[in-house]
Amino acid sequence: MLDAPRSSGLLEGVASIGGTCPPTAEATRLARMEARYRGLLKAAPDAMVVVNETGEIVVVNMQAEKRFGFHRHELLGKKMTCIIPGGSVEQLIADCTRTAAESMAQQIATGIELTGRRKDGSEFPVEIMLSPLDDADGILVTAAIRDISVRKAADAHLVQMEARYRGLLEAAPDAMVVVNQAGEIIIVNVQAEKRFGFHRHELLGEKMTRIIPGGFAERLIADGARTAADALAQQIGAGIELTGRRKDGSEFPIEIMLSPLDGAEGILVTAAIRDISVRKAADAHLVRMEARYRELLEAAPDAMVVINQAGLIVLMNLQAEKQFGYKREEAIGKDVTSIIPVGFAERLVADGMRSAQESVEQQIGSGIELIARRRDGSEFPIEIMLSPLGGEQGILVTAAIRDITKRKNADAYLLRKVEELNRSNEELGQFAYIASHDLQEPLRMVASYTELLARRYKGKLDSDADEFMAYAVDGAHRMQQLIKDLLTYSRVATNERRLRETSSQDALTHALHNLRAAIADANAHITSDPMPTVFADATQLVQVFQNLISNAIKYQSHGAPRVHISAAQTGTGGWIISIQDNGLGIEKQYFEKIFGMFQRLHQRDEFSGTGIGLAVCKKIIEQHGGRIWVTSEPGEGSLFQFTLTES
Amino acid sequence: MPVTVLLIEDNPGDIRLTREAFQESGFAVDLHVAEDGVDAMRFLRREGIDADAPRPDFVLLDLNLPRKDGREVLALIKEDPNLKTIPTVVLTTSDAEADIVRSYQLHANCYISKPLEFQKFSEVVRQIYDLWLQTATLMRNCA
Repeated sequence: MLDAPRSSGLLEGVASIGGTCPPTAEATRLARMEARYRGLLKAAPDAMVVVNETGEIVVVNMQAEKRFGFHRHELLGKKMTCIIPGGSVEQLIADCTRTAAESMAQQIATGIELTGRRKDGSEFPVEIMLSPLDDADGILVTAAIRDISVRKAADAHLVQMEARYRGLLEAAPDAMVVVNQAGEIIIVNVQAEKRFGFHRHELLGEKMTRIIPGGFAERLIADGARTAADALAQQIGAGIELTGRRKDGSEFPIEIMLSPLDGAEGILVTAAIRDISVRKAADAHLVRMEARYRELLEAAPDAMVVINQAGLIVLMNLQAEKQFGYKREEAIGKDVTSIIPVGFAERLVADGMRSAQESVEQQIGSGIELIARRRDGSEFPIEIMLSPLGGEQGILVTAAIRDITKRKNADAYLLRKVEELNRSNEELGQFAYIASHDLQEPLRMVASYTELLARRYKGKLDSDADEFMAYAVDGAHRMQQLIKDLLTYSRVATNERRLRETSSQDALTHALHNLRAAIADANAHITSDPMPTVFADATQLVQVFQNLISNAIKYQSHGAPRVHISAAQTGTGGWIISIQDNGLGIEKQYFEKIFGMFQRLHQRDEFSGTGIGLAVCKKIIEQHGGRIWVTSEPGEGSLFQFTLTES
Repeated sequence: MPVTVLLIEDNPGDIRLTREAFQESGFAVDLHVAEDGVDAMRFLRREGIDADAPRPDFVLLDLNLPRKDGREVLALIKEDPNLKTIPTVVLTTSDAEADIVRSYQLHANCYISKPLEFQKFSEVVRQIYDLWLQTATLMRNCA
């Protein structure tokens, strides 16, 4: 920086010094010297002052005049302390004059910082470089004086900045380590101490490999082919995952972020080190979960397709491959309309008024029936269930797709069967009704005329004729009863509209009223518990009670019939109604048979009846959705029971 | 003076049976028979060969008839201002609810199911006679 005065070779050209101060005997010599140096000094950018052995200023350049605010003649011959008040200057100059060789060695490259004083008394920091000048008139000292105010201010700023930087470093939530190019740690923050379990002084000066055994130093200087700057530039901003080692030898996963720091000692590297144990664990968990999700997806019995909000297929399981005839890699990225042409994509984003989220939520849990298309173009009916899946790429929709061809076929088959059954039932009902009517007419003729015959001619022909007529009349009457019963049975059609909350108490009372003659005749004793309200056709319920109680009275061998009617609640909101008698009882083998049409267990001359009563009861109860059955022991009476719902 | 009865019935067995029943009861009945609905209306309206037919005091009507069936005949009688005053009893084998309801809607004076036995049939005929031709005061008694 002060090249000119330092180079001794240049001094040879100095001849004289011109000036007005001091006006002594030496004036001539000084003037000569000034003249010798003037050209050189003029050109110097620094203030230059030449001092003789006694410390008097003998040469001053224009820069010095400007810097200190003095006129040349005000300085020449004055002591150096005029402009550099500190006493050390004299000492320095004195030292300087001891031996040129000595002092030269001492001064070169070292600036001495002192304080300069202007004419107006203001002071400013200066740096002085001294160099001896072996002149014919004795030893002179050239002082190059530089105003270092700006540099001083910059230095102060730097100190401040460094303090601030340190503050930041300490406040950082991450462990921060600053490393020099040799890979040595030069700064450590408190987080780094904590994280690695070292004391600051244990780390400073240590190699980075103490705390990051592998990967760091290598990255730092990468290889001989790359410069440190290159290697650094490459790393900046990218988190590098490495392993950290604590003082106790335990290791943990870290992520480091490097940034270069141009410092006084060259390029430094600041490494922000973050402990990512938790994140690593979370990542591992996520990977496991995803694997599990994938497994689930694969294991699902249904075809599973995951679709993004744009309606593109992003995932497909094995079943889906099978069902649609696509290879996974073919299908992924395709629009969902290629496998479900209509109804799905529309639902996905529904309309502008609804958010995708809403429309997805709306679909959850509800099976939607649509038509799917295989790769070969063939179509099949499906049912899909949607569920949203919050993914990194936004909401995805998982669609579970079930091929419902079989179910559809079964449904159609069932529907057809039901229709057939309804038709045949209707025909059967009509048949029974018409047949009984049409049978009735001729039968009435047979019955009426044999009766008429009997009335007119009984006793007028022979005894055979009377017997024959009696059989004919009896046969006709029985036939009539059968037809009448058949008609009754065929008419038991429970109309849904007639099912209502019905008092079974009232129905029972009504039935007993209808049976009052039979009850009186048999001297029967009928008792009952309070009866519940049930859901039934009142008229038909009367019919059931009437048939069952009439049977209970009828099938008796001796003594007075005792019949008890009761009701008990079932666990499922229904009722079991029981009719217990003390009659003949029934053998187990007939428990089913007696409910059949025209099934009789007794001879005609024992008990009258066609055997339609229980069949009618069964039909009524079953049409009410109930069940009727009997439990009995011969000689121990019978217990007839049936169920009815409450509503 | 015998009462005039029009029996509208296609079954000869029933015709005879009704005749026998009236006979057994010993009532003086002038029984006329129409074997289908068309004949019946001609008789009632005294048209064509029936121009001289008497106005019946009473009609016994079967529902199932050839050509014009009993329900139509009933409707025509009850629509006709001249005929609607004639008591018309539906006497049929049907005891179907639909037939009963329909008949009364068409203003049948009474609906009776034919009993299966002659004994009972005979009683029914006597009861009809008693009620409608003896107990009840009919239009024919009015000027």
